[in-house]
Amino acid sequence: MVKEENSRRAFFKKAAAAVGIVAAAGYTKTLISKPSESAEDLKAKYANDAISQEQKLMQTPLVLMTDSEKKQMLDEMLNNYNKNKEPA
Amino acid sequence: MSEEIIEIREEAGEVQGGRRDFLKNLGIAGAAALVAGPVLAEAAAEPVSPDAGMTAAEMFQGHFVLMSDEEKKKAVARLEKRYTAKYKKKTVVSTVPPPEGVLFGYALDISKCTGCRRCVHACVTENNQSRHDPEIHWIQVMKLTKGNDSFAAENLGKGYPAKSKFGDYGVQVGGNAYTPLGGIGTHSAQNYYTQDEMVPSPDHYYVPVQCQQCEKPPCVKVCPVRATFRDEAGVILIDYNWCIGCRMCQLACPYGARRFNWGEPNLPAEEMNPKTHYFGNRPRMRGVMEKCTFCAQRTREGRNPACEEACPVGARRFGNLLDPESDVRKILDKKRVFRFKEEFGTYPKFFYYVG
Repeated sequence: MVKEENSRRAFFKKAAAAVGIVAAAGYTKTLISKPSESAEDLKAKYANDAISQEQKLMQTPLVLMTDSEKKQMLDEMLNNYNKNKEPA
Repeated sequence: MSEEIIEIREEAGEVQGGRRDFLKNLGIAGAAALVAGPVLAEAAAEPVSPDAGMTAAEMFQGHFVLMSDEEKKKAVARLEKRYTAKYKKKTVVSTVPPPEGVLFGYALDISKCTGCRRCVHACVTENNQSRHDPEIHWIQVMKLTKGNDSFAAENLGKGYPAKSKFGDYGVQVGGNAYTPLGGIGTHSAQNYYTQDEMVPSPDHYYVPVQCQQCEKPPCVKVCPVRATFRDEAGVILIDYNWCIGCRMCQLACPYGARRFNWGEPNLPAEEMNPKTHYFGNRPRMRGVMEKCTFCAQRTREGRNPACEEACPVGARRFGNLLDPESDVRKILDKKRVFRFKEEFGTYPKFFYYVG
């Protein structure tokens, strides 16, 4: 006689339960990780970025550099480069 | 309870399975769910594709800079395989390091730029940017009204930086707070003038803006995972696989030079540039930041950036700031050089000048 717990029916029952749980877990993960935004939402987000970046630039005039400032900036960059090249 | 009795009771339909059996089944099912759940969910979320198997490995890889040579090889092989399958063309992901003895700098002649935006389109093509929905541009061309400029030329050789408690390299931008040298106002600028507009307009300047490759980049300082960093040649790069998409760098960038992929970039296979660099123009994914890299895939191999090559009027100059004979250094020495006013002392390596 085949025991109930070793029977084919029991095996299928377990398998079905496992598949059910896996499917539920998968579905939940899908819901969590899948982008919920519609195309319009995405468009709005890209547009928001573009507008805020444009505004940032509008508030940033181009300024003429003095000769000493140019020299100082270049010195700073070259110093920085040489400093990074020195062995620690 | 003996097994015999259980069997008898099961036959009689009295015992459908004890608590132990129930817990055992639950345990098996739970373990199966833990193992298979994410994989099945991933498959459910995305269409079955040749790259499906690569995603998990990519997700769990470390920061590229910190990888061993072996890990780097594997990471690159994974990417090449995935891109080749996805775009149906043999794709190369280079990892060529920056050249020795080089600090890259860029200079742009405002008086020459015609606003034709060929640099923008060359950049899009070269760097595998999203083509539509959304169309991502790393370069924005600002259109500025003439007349908003004023310079005190007699003060060019003056100005200070004075010594301060912070050293000789304190914040110093264009003259000083009391006697500014002047500059070009951007308050009436337009970024998105229409494609069919005739350029150049006689009443406007055109100022293309892209990543300024700051020597002291605020974006690098704020990155919580160091996905963005400065390489030896002074270029700010991003490890797209390490980026967590927090957008702190975008907020920190005073030049609005970073673009975030809110959705999956739209790059048609036939338009994809298969010659890529890991830190450069390889296709990006949803949820990561991207920006100009001075065309890392080109400049690391001794070529010029695509925007520089595309400029029909020669307004763009790219070169080595360490070399006193380079165009960029000569421009810095001889020309009237502008930069975006920036109080944070970012030391951009992108200069604007009047030729």
